[in-house]
Amino acid sequence: MASTHDAARASGEAGAAAAPRTRLEYQRFNVFHRWMHFLVFVSFTVLVFTGMPLKYKQAGWAQWVMDLFGGVTAAGIYHRIAAIVTVFYWTAEVIYMLVHVVRSRGRAVLGPESLMFNRKDLHDMVGMFAWFLGRGPKPQFDRYTYWEKFDYLSLVIGTVIIGTTGFMMWYPLTTTRYFPGWVLNVALVIHSQEALLAMGVIFIFVHFFSAHLKPGSFPMDKVIFTGSVPVEHYRAERPLEWARRVKEGTLEEVLVERPLTWRTKVADVVWWAITLFAGACAVLMTAFIVWTVID
Amino acid sequence: MRAGRQRLRPVLRRAVAALALGVALAAAWAAVAAAASPSPAAGESSSILAPPDNSRCLRCHGGGEGAGAGPRVDAARYARSPHGRLACTSCHLGFGPGPHDAAQLRDWRATARLDACRACHADVFSRYSASFHGRVALSQPRRGAPACADCHGAHAVLRPGTAAFRETIDDLCARCHAEARQTYLDSYHGKAFLLGRATAAVCTDCHGGHRILPPDDPRSSVSKANLVATCRTCHPGASENFASFMVHVNPRDPRSSLLLWVFYAAYVVLIAVVFSFGFVHSGLYIYRGIKDGLYSRRGARLG
Repeated sequence: MASTHDAARASGEAGAAAAPRTRLEYQRFNVFHRWMHFLVFVSFTVLVFTGMPLKYKQAGWAQWVMDLFGGVTAAGIYHRIAAIVTVFYWTAEVIYMLVHVVRSRGRAVLGPESLMFNRKDLHDMVGMFAWFLGRGPKPQFDRYTYWEKFDYLSLVIGTVIIGTTGFMMWYPLTTTRYFPGWVLNVALVIHSQEALLAMGVIFIFVHFFSAHLKPGSFPMDKVIFTGSVPVEHYRAERPLEWARRVKEGTLEEVLVERPLTWRTKVADVVWWAITLFAGACAVLMTAFIVWTVID
Repeated sequence: MRAGRQRLRPVLRRAVAALALGVALAAAWAAVAAAASPSPAAGESSSILAPPDNSRCLRCHGGGEGAGAGPRVDAARYARSPHGRLACTSCHLGFGPGPHDAAQLRDWRATARLDACRACHADVFSRYSASFHGRVALSQPRRGAPACADCHGAHAVLRPGTAAFRETIDDLCARCHAEARQTYLDSYHGKAFLLGRATAAVCTDCHGGHRILPPDDPRSSVSKANLVATCRTCHPGASENFASFMVHVNPRDPRSSLLLWVFYAAYVVLIAVVFSFGFVHSGLYIYRGIKDGLYSRRGARLG
């Protein structure tokens, strides 16, 4: 937002000073990425709101939240619908990633754009702590930082854990056809604890921080909705990717001229409304749980 | 003329008789209605049969002016209860006015209060007396095993089978079995029941009510031999494996189940580590951001 005018000027200097105002942007996420995020975001919020009241059933707010969904039975149905959405997006994401890895001949995993942890991430993390304390320069990042990788991988792996245990409890008769009864006890403990862990990672420590609180993202990083960011923002945030693409001559692949019309403004309002609503939900549920745990 | 009068007479006679009968019935109805209508002076009792005259008992036990030392009874609530039309002495057999005999009171607290219910509820009582609670209550009154009134109430009896009574069941059991209630609430049934699913299983659905027996008794509904059948009342197709699910277990206590505790504790450690790391990392990042002015419009572009 802040750099709209500068970017418009930059794009003007780039030579494309046509009638509609445009801005040179870096295409970070494609339509598939953005839809995936939307599905995660809606289903995760529903799962948290219909699940956490069961974990903290004796707190006063638990009944209130359940009543908001039309009672504990209705909430159970919404929880299961969101679970099916989760299975769908997880499967789609895994297929997409497998195709992506195969088509890039492994470079998507082993290369610098990988979402997998590598040795550089450890160096980056140490480097970030040094920078935090004023004992060194800020490490430079390629396409994904280590906290973004953690955010992504914890979701992909966490979904397997919480999904498996969840379906076990959904179909207890089928589960106990193959496993002893204590497996359902273990499933409940894991499901319940993994949910708290996932909620903390998404709502508070990693995701909320990297998308909203971090300098450069504050108050809101809209890239997962719009797909692209102003090019100088990209250059500052991902200097290694920028330098690598300049060197490889692949910068053009990720640069787009984004038209800025009244629709951009309307879309911005929509992104803000969605985020404020979800943010309010996240803060509310976090407050409820912190209150219950302290109490 | 004559023939007309003769024809008129039986009709007249019948009319007079009908009128007299009507007046008599109306008077009787009015008298009964006046006696039964809840006028403030007549108290709360609303029986059209025989309004119990409990005023002599309530002089001391009603809690009004000049009340005695004995237990107080909410007369209005009692009158609304299913037993409200009974005189006090229908249950408190043999109690008379004035300070009661100490031996009689001791006898009441021991087993006489059970006999009071048995008089009308013999069928249920025979089941209760065979249960663990009943056996202990009848043979060792001092151990405080629940008698009828401990669960059903004495003067404010709730009709069993109503939702209002069902909602109180876990509270009733928790008076003695508090730990079992907590583990119940931690289980699927308890969570759903507490948050409003009235059909979710409560204590008595698995353990039975009047017939309740400890799990090591082979006749118990939760004994090894009967557990699967008990599960099947709600979960048709339940297997031995299904029934071996641990309902009353506390994952936070290693003595309750070491296996569950290991999973629980491992997650507590993991959550503590991840949250602490996230807290420190985010906090330091924000600190550095503020210090270097990265939250300003210019700084935003420098990341």
